Amino acid sequence: MTSVFRYHGLRVEIAGRAVVQSLDLAIAPGECVALVGESGSGKSQSWMAPFGLSPGIASGEAWLCGEALVGRDEADRSRLRARHVGFVFQQPLTSLSPHLTIAAHLEEAFTQAGGARPDRATLAAALSEVGIDQPQDRLRQFPHRLSGGQRQRVMIAMAIAHQPALLIADEPTTALDATLRREVMAMLTNLCRKRGMAMLLISHDLASVADAADRLIIMRQGEMVEQGPTRDVIAHPGSAYGRDLLAAAPRLDGPAPHRPAIGALLLEARDIAVSFPHPGWRRGRLQAVDQATLTVHEGEALAIVGGSGSGKSTLARAIARLGPCDAGEVSWRGLPLPPRDRIRPAERAGFQPVFQDPVASLDPRWRVADIIAEPARHLGSGVSQQHILAAMAECDLEPMLADRRPHELSGGQAQRVAIARALITDPAMLILDEATSALDVLVAGRVLDLLARLQRERQLALLMITHDLAVARRLCHRILVMDHGRIIEQGDTESLIRSPQTDITRQLVAASH
Amino acid sequence: MNRLRLALPAGLVGLVLLAAWLLPSLLPWDYRVIDWDHVSAPAATPGHVLGTDSVGRDLLSRTLVGTRITMMVAIAAAFVSLIIGVLWGAIAGWCGGKVDALMMRIVDALYALPFMFVVILLMVVFGRSILLVFIGIGAVEWLTMARVVRGQMLALRHRPFILAAEAAGAKAGFIVFRHALPNMAAVILAYLLLTVPQVVMVESFLSFLGLGVQEPMTSLGILVKEGADDMDVYPIALLVPGGVLVTLVVCLTVLGERLRDRWAA
Repeated sequence: MTSVFRYHGLRVEIAGRAVVQSLDLAIAPGECVALVGESGSGKSQSWMAPFGLSPGIASGEAWLCGEALVGRDEADRSRLRARHVGFVFQQPLTSLSPHLTIAAHLEEAFTQAGGARPDRATLAAALSEVGIDQPQDRLRQFPHRLSGGQRQRVMIAMAIAHQPALLIADEPTTALDATLRREVMAMLTNLCRKRGMAMLLISHDLASVADAADRLIIMRQGEMVEQGPTRDVIAHPGSAYGRDLLAAAPRLDGPAPHRPAIGALLLEARDIAVSFPHPGWRRGRLQAVDQATLTVHEGEALAIVGGSGSGKSTLARAIARLGPCDAGEVSWRGLPLPPRDRIRPAERAGFQPVFQDPVASLDPRWRVADIIAEPARHLGSGVSQQHILAAMAECDLEPMLADRRPHELSGGQAQRVAIARALITDPAMLILDEATSALDVLVAGRVLDLLARLQRERQLALLMITHDLAVARRLCHRILVMDHGRIIEQGDTESLIRSPQTDITRQLVAASH
Repeated sequence: MNRLRLALPAGLVGLVLLAAWLLPSLLPWDYRVIDWDHVSAPAATPGHVLGTDSVGRDLLSRTLVGTRITMMVAIAAAFVSLIIGVLWGAIAGWCGGKVDALMMRIVDALYALPFMFVVILLMVVFGRSILLVFIGIGAVEWLTMARVVRGQMLALRHRPFILAAEAAGAKAGFIVFRHALPNMAAVILAYLLLTVPQVVMVESFLSFLGLGVQEPMTSLGILVKEGADDMDVYPIALLVPGGVLVTLVVCLTVLGERLRDRWAA
C-alpha cells in the first residue's frame, strides 16, 4: 500500500541547530502513527517545519500524497496543506473564535479548500459524527457555551470537514481531563478507520496513545530512539528511554506503593460551602462546593479527585484560605482557622500550596532564590543563603539555578522551585493543586518521586487535587471523589479503586487504565 | 531595522534636549537681551544664526530656552501622572468592588470637567503663574494613567503568582509594589512616554492663548504664537519653533507607541 505521508531522512534546523535529525516515517491510509517524546524532543517541529508552520528549516525528503513538501514555496505548501491535511491542536479553549457561531466555524472549514457551501443538515451530520449531541442546537451556539471536550470535538469536525487524506493531531487530549481523554482519543481512531484517513498523533504521554496508534516512534533530543508496532514497543521496549517513558506514568494496577505511617489529626474541615454569582445576567448563585467535610492527619496524603468543574480546586482553596468560603469551619491542630482576611502568618506557615502551572505561579521578574525565600520572609524571620540552597538541594535543583528567572527554567525545574518555596517554612502539609498535570509524563513522574520522598522524610501531609486516579494512587492513603460540588464517595485508595460505588468513580477508574 | 525603529526617535529627542540645555550659554546673545541694531533680522545675520524676532531678541536662543521650559512642564506633568495615576489605579484595581467603582467614578468625573475652563478659572483666582500651569496639567494627565494601571491590575490580580504571594503571607502593599507593579513597569513606562507629547501640546496651547508662561520667559507655544502673528512677512519665526515642537511631539509619540507595542507583546 502506498503511503499518504512519508519522511525519508528528514532534518529540521532552527537558527543553525538541528532539532530533528534523520527522521523516517510512513503512514498508510487508515493508519495511525504516534510520535512520542518529552518537550524539546523535536516532535512538533518534525511536522511543523515541513509544512512551513514554524521558523524551522526542513531538509531531506517529505512527501504528502505523492507531492514533495521540502523545497516548495509558501503558496504551494499552503495549497497542499489546505487540500490534504487537517490539523488538531492542544488548546480547544483558544482555538475557536469567540464571536463566531459553531455553524460559522464549520462552514469556513468546509469551504476552505474550495468546497461548496454546506447546508444545515451537512453541518449537523458533521457534528454528530464527532459525537456531539443535539447538533442542530449546537450549531447556533457560540464557543463559550461548549465544554472543553465539546470544543475539541468541534475542532476535530473542522479539521476533517474537507475530507483530508491526513490528520495531524498535536497533543489533542492533553488539555482535557482523564475521562474525556479516552473518549476523544477513541473517537479519533474510529474516524480514521472509517474514513481511511491517515493520522499522525503527537504526544508526550505514551500511555494515552497506546490504544490509538498502530505504530509508535519515540523521539528524544531530535533523534528517533525507537520505532515499531505499538504492541511490540509497549511489550518489549528496545531502548532504555522507551522503558523510562513506559514506567513513568503512574498506574492503577501493580503493587500498592508503600505509604508512610499516619499521625495525629492535623486538619479538619466541616460543612464547607462556596458559591459564586452566575456569570452574565442570570440570577442566583452557583453552588461550587456544598457541605464538604474532610480530615487530614499528620503524614497522611488525601486526594480530592473529580472532573473539571467538580469544585475540587475551589474546596482546596477555601480550606487553604486562598479563596472564598461562605460557610463551614476549618480547624488546624484542633484550633479554629480564621478566615482569609484575618489569618495570621504563623497559621499560614503550616500549610503551603503548589499550583498547576509552574511557570505562571512564579513571579516572572524575581530570581529563583528570592522566590524560594519569599514565604520565610513574610511568615518567619527570613532565611540565610545556605538555607535556600539546602531547600533547593532537597528538591534536586542545581545551586546555579538560584540566579535564574522563571522563564529560563523548564517546566519540571519551575515546579521544583515551587515545591522548594512551599517547603521553606517547614510546613506540616502541602496543598497540591494539579501539581503534575501540566508536566510531561517523565517530568511529572520525577516530581511525584520527589513528593513521595518528601512525604517519607518529612512526615509531610498532602492534600492533593487531581483529575487522575493513577496519580492519586501513587501517593495517597485515602481518596475523596467530588462531583458537582459534593463529595460523592470516599475511602481507602486501594479499595476505592478496586470497587468503586458510583458511576463517576467508575468512569475515573476506567479513564486511568 | 528593528533597532532603528526605536533609536531614530530616541536619538532625535535626545539631540533636541541636549541642544536646549547646553547650547544657550554658548550663544553670543541671551534670550532676554534686545539687539537694537538687528530688529526682525533675517536668518544668517552675524551673531544671530536664525535671525531675531520683532523686538530684536535672538530667535535660536529663544527657541532653545522655550524648548527647555516646555519639556520641564512636560516632565513634571509626567511625574505627577506617574505618582498619582499609578497609585490611584493600583489601589482601585487591587481593591476592586465598591472602592474600585468609587475611585473610577471620580476619574470619570474629572475627565468630564472642561479642563481649559478649570485652568482659566484658576488663573483668574490665583493670578498667572507657571506653577498653576504645572498643577493644572498634572491634575488632568494622571487620569489616563490611572485607567491603564487599573486595567493591568485587574488582569494581573488573578494570575497564579499573585495568589502564590498571598499564600506566602505577603501583605497587600507588598504584593502591589513588589509583585504587581514591577510586572506592569513596561506598560507604565510606555504610557508615560505618551503623556509627555500630550502635555507639550497642552502647555503650548495654554501659552498660545496667553495663559501659560509669562514674558520674557518663553515656551514653544509662545514662540509659535508670536511667529504666527508675522508669518506672512517673516515665516522663519513660526517655522523654527513650530518645527521643534512637531519633531518632539512626533518622536515622543512614536517612541511611546513602539515601546508599548514591543513590551505589551
